[in-house]
Amino acid sequence: MNIYLFQLVNGLGLGMIYFLTAVGLSILFGLLNFVNFAHGAFFLFGAYACFEIASRTGSFYLSLLLAPLCVAALGWGLNKFLLNRVMHLAHSAHILITFGIMLVLQELVVLAWGPLPQNVPMPAGLSGALILGSFVYPQYRLFVIGLSIAVAVLLYLVLEKTRFGALLRAASQDASTVSLIGVNVAGIFSAAFALGGWLAGLAGVLTAPMRGVDPAMGMDALAIAFAVVIVGGLGSFTGALVGGLLVGVVQSMMSTVWPEGARLMIYCAVAAVLLLRPNGLLGRA
Amino acid sequence: MNRRSFLSSAAAVAAGLSAPLVGRSAFAKETVTVGGPLSLSGVFANVGTPVDMGNRMAVEFFNRSLPVQLQYLSLDDQSDPGKGVRKVQEAIQQSGVKYFSGTSNSASAMAVAKEVYGAGGVYVNQAGADSVTGADCNRSTFRWPAATYGAIEQSVRPLIDLHPKARRWYTITGQYVFGEALLANTKRVLAEKQCEHVGNVSHSLSEKEFSGYIANAMAAQPDVLCILNFGNQTMDVIRAAVNFGMKRNVIIIAPWSTGLDQFQALGPDVVEGLYFGIQYWHDLQTPGNRRLLEAYAQQYKDRPNHSFATAFACTQVIAEGIAKAGTADCAQVIKALEGLQYEGICGTETVRAGDHQILKDCYLARGKAKSAMKDAYDFADILSGGQSFLPVEQTGCTFPA
Repeated sequence: MNIYLFQLVNGLGLGMIYFLTAVGLSILFGLLNFVNFAHGAFFLFGAYACFEIASRTGSFYLSLLLAPLCVAALGWGLNKFLLNRVMHLAHSAHILITFGIMLVLQELVVLAWGPLPQNVPMPAGLSGALILGSFVYPQYRLFVIGLSIAVAVLLYLVLEKTRFGALLRAASQDASTVSLIGVNVAGIFSAAFALGGWLAGLAGVLTAPMRGVDPAMGMDALAIAFAVVIVGGLGSFTGALVGGLLVGVVQSMMSTVWPEGARLMIYCAVAAVLLLRPNGLLGRA
Repeated sequence: MNRRSFLSSAAAVAAGLSAPLVGRSAFAKETVTVGGPLSLSGVFANVGTPVDMGNRMAVEFFNRSLPVQLQYLSLDDQSDPGKGVRKVQEAIQQSGVKYFSGTSNSASAMAVAKEVYGAGGVYVNQAGADSVTGADCNRSTFRWPAATYGAIEQSVRPLIDLHPKARRWYTITGQYVFGEALLANTKRVLAEKQCEHVGNVSHSLSEKEFSGYIANAMAAQPDVLCILNFGNQTMDVIRAAVNFGMKRNVIIIAPWSTGLDQFQALGPDVVEGLYFGIQYWHDLQTPGNRRLLEAYAQQYKDRPNHSFATAFACTQVIAEGIAKAGTADCAQVIKALEGLQYEGICGTETVRAGDHQILKDCYLARGKAKSAMKDAYDFADILSGGQSFLPVEQTGCTFPA
């Protein structure tokens, strides 16, 4: 297969993984107007919860089920007991507070699991590669891409076609009116945080067998997530998808065109988008 | 009580009170502090923490046989060379520390080395950058691991001999001085052995996603994939290569590997069949390593990894120098160390006088199948080992007269 065609396909696959990493962040801003720098910590917790559950039970699939729920609970708890008290503050305060939470959670991970990287084995049945002529692609990555597409569709349906999604969107626009009709707005917002946590945790779980787990992986994920949401537009679900795909394709293509600068080009793409469309490709002001 | 008896009593009391001090001073050893400039927090904490543990255990261990009392002081640079330098300056100026052991990364080591040299101290480290005992060498600094020349000579060369039909080599290189040095040495050996270097792709220090680079490698259809970087990036490339099925028909080698901690992070399924150049292995059958393992087993249940063992080795160099000199005077210890041979963890090790490089063995290892592992740490077999070092005149090191 032509190398550029392969890099394009690889980039689209990578993009879906980046979309999953970033969509929780975009949703929280879009629906709650909240910039959550602890998103990377949710990702990190998801990965380590996966490591712990998989080590104890020998089952990656069990960790796939349980670990994101653990992170959702963490997100719900953080919002209920801390973040909903600072929701009214400026974005700069959100950033400072959640970045502090990120650092605390990262150090807790080091205390609990140590500073050395750990291994999460590939799940049985997905450790090989799909070979179609000259096209070779890891089965596990195909699984992740498929799952990311399914999650994207499910998420869209939840946000656009369910009562919960309607209430969430309504509350994000006019919380006081929604509360007047008897809806527990605080509970809705906590549920949104739990959803954001679940998505980040899921991304962490899916990344763990590909990259292993180490305490610094949350920061790396946060950097990519912010690049994706800035390119796609903060607050836009479709923007996160487009942003993820664009970042993935740029990174993958650049690893052939200019390998030394592949990582740099992600941020050049971010800068270019900010110059041309300050709210991102599909973002709102 | 009259005056005479008062004076006699007072003298007796004074003699009684001073007797312990007199007795103590006759046997008290000089206390010498060994500082550990390393990262206990930040991105290099995964290296710094075991280095700190290794330093600490070595100080306790070698205290038994020295004419001085060693004590240890951790100096957390928070993964920032600038902070590391400030901590070392404070230790030198405020606590009079003259001996330093260990590092978490080459950049920190080189910055600290200048400070220690300025203070006339002694610094032994396990930095990988060639210039530590090359162009940036100084009389105060000693380096324990082999430089890139030796690492490549003892991994790439024997692998070529092991697989004479595997002639097409593809390299993935970290685009920094260390990676470029690994690449230059690899290309030299490949040329000598008439192997074909079919391609190279370089990546940045911050790169995490290597699927695109592996695609480049697969497109070149090599017989061997040679990974020329270090730390987490080595593991990221290996995982990507194995995930993309390269193990089926390509030999994979990482000439600069830290061994056990990386094998544990990769897992036996990934490590199986891969080749690694390593500077230490916990299963080495040397008197020095057996001594380390016995001491380690008294405190820990697992096995010492590369970072721990190299820290132990660095502190051992200091201890050996003090033991030979019979004093903790830095100038005399440095003189005693030059040319010294001792039983280190990798066998007989020699401190080369011309550049303060410790001459020691490096090894080529191959990952075992999980079913063949004797215990949870038995990830690899050592296939070969030896010493390869550039002559001093070719290292670029010149000590001032």
